[in-house]
Amino acid sequence: MSWRLAALKNGFQDATAYRIEFLFEVLGSAFVPAAIQWVLWYAMFKIGGAHEIAGMNYSDMVQYTLVSLLFTQIRGGDHDFELQEMIRSGQLSNYLLRPVSVIEFVYIRGMAPKLLIAGVCLGLGTTVGLFFGMSPVRLLGAMVMALIGNVLHYQIGAALSTTAFLWEEAYSFLMVKNMLVSLLSGELIPLNLFPKNMQWMWKITPFYLYVFGPTQYALGHWTHTYFLEQLAWSCVWLVAGWAFIKVTWGLGMSRYLSLGG
Amino acid sequence: MIVEVKNVSRSFRSPKKTEGFTGAMKLLFKPEYSTHEAVKNVSFSLEPGSFNGLIGANGAGKTTLLKILSGLIAPTSGEARVLGFDPFQRPVEFRRKIALVMGQKAQLWWDLPAVDAFDLLRAIYEIPMPVYKERLHTLATLLDVTKHLNTQIRRLSLGERMKMELIGALIHWPNVIFLDEPTIGLDILAAHKLREFLKEFNRREKATIILTSHNMEDIEKLCSRVLIMRTGEIIYDGTAHGLTEKGECRLRVRLMQSPTVEELAQLTGVNASAIAVQAPDTGPDEEDKDENDHKPIFFTIKYDDIVAILQKIMTKFTIINMGIEEPSLENVIQRLFQ
Repeated sequence: MSWRLAALKNGFQDATAYRIEFLFEVLGSAFVPAAIQWVLWYAMFKIGGAHEIAGMNYSDMVQYTLVSLLFTQIRGGDHDFELQEMIRSGQLSNYLLRPVSVIEFVYIRGMAPKLLIAGVCLGLGTTVGLFFGMSPVRLLGAMVMALIGNVLHYQIGAALSTTAFLWEEAYSFLMVKNMLVSLLSGELIPLNLFPKNMQWMWKITPFYLYVFGPTQYALGHWTHTYFLEQLAWSCVWLVAGWAFIKVTWGLGMSRYLSLGG
Repeated sequence: MIVEVKNVSRSFRSPKKTEGFTGAMKLLFKPEYSTHEAVKNVSFSLEPGSFNGLIGANGAGKTTLLKILSGLIAPTSGEARVLGFDPFQRPVEFRRKIALVMGQKAQLWWDLPAVDAFDLLRAIYEIPMPVYKERLHTLATLLDVTKHLNTQIRRLSLGERMKMELIGALIHWPNVIFLDEPTIGLDILAAHKLREFLKEFNRREKATIILTSHNMEDIEKLCSRVLIMRTGEIIYDGTAHGLTEKGECRLRVRLMQSPTVEELAQLTGVNASAIAVQAPDTGPDEEDKDENDHKPIFFTIKYDDIVAILQKIMTKFTIINMGIEEPSLENVIQRLFQ
């Protein structure tokens, strides 16, 4: 078994060491944002009396919220925070001396529970989706895009975490990045709710590929051709993300202090 | 030579924080930096299979030197080579052959049983399963932790955890091992067990070991060679035995008068740094008690000079009593640190 598989297994063991905590994390992070969105749509459509917003009615909004839940669960975790803390506290030293890439190792270990969740979401989405006429092929394609989004999210976070080499503490910086991701990935609101003249804001980042893109494809709002085009873009972002990591970590490591001990 | 260090220096720049609110504001808008030289122009080389002790007071530069040698940080100037590699380049082949254990830093995963962590390390170092099983059995038996292998790391005692850290660091059979205070916080029994293990591992596997410790027993019992660091420089490089066998002793005299150290240095010709009044490590034993509070004065001198120095003292002062003490390694090192 290669070290990647072993790291995946180890990461899964670590994530599920406390079962109740694991279940709460999964369920809590899924249902709390969904409940907030539902309250928002209910207020706008049922109490406020709106019929359609940006071409979406109440049923479209609820459908978006439910389907986007599947992909919100797969969006990357907070490994960038873990990396910045490792840099700040000197814990990074533990990983630097192992004969494997630190960035890859941290990602794979952290990815393990997400893969399980992706499998469950795919199964759940396919089963439930059949009753609502959703295509399993579209769901599978959307899941692939969401998984690429997961890698992208980590790449960006890992590169930004290197600011900790420079500033020592980069928590707030990563926090702001996460808020932007929440807004621009489509996990809080469908991105077509953005005013026309502000649509460029989410189109210039890769964040929409995390949740909005997969949801649109799964719901049949994107054609296959458009989806493939976006998938190709996500691959371009992957290469850019890889280069971003190479440069930032190369620069950062020369400043590493390995504090503590 | 397995480790070669030539004129290595390392300095750190850090922001200076002054007291109070003004200090905080200054740090926010106009920070000032100070540079601290942690390692200064250090050179030495180590032979394969040797057990070496690196000692010094806190902040002497020991850990910084270990970090340079293991490749965690680069030297500001000079050159270090370990196993023929430039450590800071950290090539995979180099990382496969070294291990660093920091007594104050956990490397294993807190929430997992040790055996799960070792299994991951086995995959990382590509150790064949039968070899891994044999090594794990050997290490766990030597360290007496077989029954704790399936216990979560965070549920282990400090000593057991340290032993697990050692197993994690050695499971790939490294050629060079850097140990930074491995016995810190351990009780006498656990420290003894760990020392015995390290001795045995070094003897069996011919691994080169560099150990930093504040525990002189670690150094005396394990290290064939000792390097002493003070404020970033190496001030002694030789055997542990050599430190106490330089023909030096401590001459203790109690005088009727109370001369200053400077007066005594001038009178005897002994360097003032080798004269101490009521040495800090000297307990108030029966012999040292004096109803008139005449404090004992200690001269660290060569055996051959005892008579001449006593004669010089007697020309001006009256000796109440005197004695000669063999220096312990701890005393010698304490004096070197000062």
